Amino acid sequence: MSSLIAPVEHGKTGGLPAWLAHLAASAANWPGAYRAQLRASPRRTALLSVLVVLVFVYPLLNRVVLQPFSRNVFPLPVPDDTTVVFMLIFATMAIGLNIVIGFAGLLDLGYVAFYALGAYTAAYLASPHWSGLSILLFSDLPAGFPGIHLPFFIIFWAAALVAAIFGALLGAPTLRLRGDYLAIVTLGFGEIVPVFFKNLVNVHFSFGPIQLVNANLTGGPLGINPIDPPELFGIKFGVINGFNAVYLLLAIVIMSIIIARNLERSRMGRAWMAIREDETAAEMMGVNTVRTKLLAFGLGASFAGFAGAMQASYQGATTSDFFQFSTSILVVIMIILGGIGNIWGVILGAITVQYVDKTVLGWAGNRLKDIGNAIGNPDLGQINPSQFSFLLLGVALVLMMRFRPEGLLPSRQRAAELHAAPPDQALGSAAVMEIEEEVIEEAAPEDVEATAAAPDGGAAGEPPDTPGRTGDGS
Amino acid sequence: MSAMAGAPLAELRTGQVPDDQLLVRARAVTKRFGGLVAVNSVDFDIPRGAIVSLIGPNGAGKTTFFNMITGYYVPTRGDISFDGHPIVSMKGDRVRSKKPHEVTALGIGRTFQNIRLFSTMSALDNVLVGQHVHLRSHWWDAVLRTPLLLAEEERATERAHALLDFLGLGARAHTWARNLPYGDQRRLEIARALATSPKLLLLDEPTAGMNASETRDMTDLIRRLRAELGLTVLLIEHDMRVVMGISDRVTVLDYGEVLAEGSPAEVRANPRVIEAYLGRGAAEEG
Repeated sequence: MSSLIAPVEHGKTGGLPAWLAHLAASAANWPGAYRAQLRASPRRTALLSVLVVLVFVYPLLNRVVLQPFSRNVFPLPVPDDTTVVFMLIFATMAIGLNIVIGFAGLLDLGYVAFYALGAYTAAYLASPHWSGLSILLFSDLPAGFPGIHLPFFIIFWAAALVAAIFGALLGAPTLRLRGDYLAIVTLGFGEIVPVFFKNLVNVHFSFGPIQLVNANLTGGPLGINPIDPPELFGIKFGVINGFNAVYLLLAIVIMSIIIARNLERSRMGRAWMAIREDETAAEMMGVNTVRTKLLAFGLGASFAGFAGAMQASYQGATTSDFFQFSTSILVVIMIILGGIGNIWGVILGAITVQYVDKTVLGWAGNRLKDIGNAIGNPDLGQINPSQFSFLLLGVALVLMMRFRPEGLLPSRQRAAELHAAPPDQALGSAAVMEIEEEVIEEAAPEDVEATAAAPDGGAAGEPPDTPGRTGDGS
Repeated sequence: MSAMAGAPLAELRTGQVPDDQLLVRARAVTKRFGGLVAVNSVDFDIPRGAIVSLIGPNGAGKTTFFNMITGYYVPTRGDISFDGHPIVSMKGDRVRSKKPHEVTALGIGRTFQNIRLFSTMSALDNVLVGQHVHLRSHWWDAVLRTPLLLAEEERATERAHALLDFLGLGARAHTWARNLPYGDQRRLEIARALATSPKLLLLDEPTAGMNASETRDMTDLIRRLRAELGLTVLLIEHDMRVVMGISDRVTVLDYGEVLAEGSPAEVRANPRVIEAYLGRGAAEEG
């Protein structure tokens, strides 16, 4: 019976061959698993299958049918390739921020900083910016070409790594902070990083052997360009190959989904959720909250690194203007609207917000113009809905909070928190207990120091589990 | 579990049990909150295999003492060792304390006075979080779903189910913690604490808010924890029937100091204890 108490044993695992065999077996098993799913929940599986097929066919459909139709027959609000690319870039960021806010419950309002770090990392490693150098790797540029030009598959991971390192660096000093305080510090970080990139031009600096005279570190307000487009296996994915880029981004989003899902279902994911639910209890149950929160910050930030690398490489230019505070807020709004905690929800949120912002509003403006011309009132065409995007987002947010606070596709946790408990819950004696405890807590003062300061503070209240370690004397 | 050879466990006073038979050895532990001395120079021993109770009026410093054993509060002064490992030690004037997760890893599990489960996680996940400290998979194992992670998750889940079965929660594995009835929540907290593979289990008022039959079940459960799992138990409890019924030894705290200790019968008869609980008049009448 005492095997119950012993921790699980760690037998030898087969290593790489076993892993490959496992992957192969899973792949081979896939059709069977799919059929089983189809039998278990036919409608849901069928719907999802159609959706997946649609997602992969859509870019083609868009290019071959929708865009020409929209141009020649009747204007539809169909997004162009760049809009789709940015829908997916923001979806990647939403997946990452959902790890920090949704899983671990750490309100991060400076997420744009990691997006910027990813973008500038990509810019540094694939542009003529460092014109004094000439480092070419797997590049078809002529020898001696100025700047660093590394291949995209290195840049992509380097950007994620840099973002993750800075994520952990931001996490380190803020670990003792909870809730609002954390939000304020991350907000500050989100402001500092873009300002840094905007101003580190004409830098004069001297420290020991380091001598910088009029050094241009970040390109200043002009940013860095031209940045090499992403290129894999000889296929280019830059802005002039938007159609290819959509598929590259789809692959990145799918990879992000798999990573986030795997993390969610692991020991780490459970530890994040435990911290979100009750940080003190999690700590007492053996979760190293410092390391776990750093990991949430770092891994969450790495997704913004992916997104930043794509932004810079796809557009071939990056400036600090891309990384305003409002972008941080935009990503937070996306995950709130979509459904914090649910990966599919936050993707839906990101795609919806980007689509409405970049496509629907512009389309609506043009239609207003058409209508204005048709009814002989050209003033109607002066209204530009795109200018109202944040106003509309605000209204949408207010309406959501009123009618569906858990988001479009909520996680089960959020839905339960924000709605009354269903009647079948066995709350009987627990509810009674809660009332009793409240009475007891009122009788025994919570704040010990207040008791001590009271004139006849004889009976010291038991300090209840106050947050944070009380570290006096150490 | 057998008591030590020689004198019966109940009669032993702090300092009388040889150190190698002690699971917890606390000396001169003091905790100040500002000007208030919550725990004042307390010596306290827990022999291996014992069920020891800590009682006292509200505000006597019981929970504060608990929180120092688990590393949640850093004492102002004092030494606490557990199973030969220092949890709190003095280095000159500086107090060094292990962090709560390190203490958990050493083998101390606890429950809370006010239930603190992870409320929107399933019973099973709550127990799996308890195993966290003994699992070895890293985040990259999770991302790649390596054989290490798969094997470990399978074993951990199996063990979590076994623990839930042991506590009679087998059918509730996939229910959210907060949707469980009150008594089940108390038991789930114990299951989660057992998942940390403790040698010492700290129970903070495990029968609070329970009716007579639920209290009996809980008392039986605590006995089973020692008999079947070989655990040492430290209990904070207000229900004197529970305390007197299952404890080998009882220590009474009042105003942060040890007022009395010994067997339940001795403590019950101690006039100072009666005075602390019922007032001076009652002690004189008795």
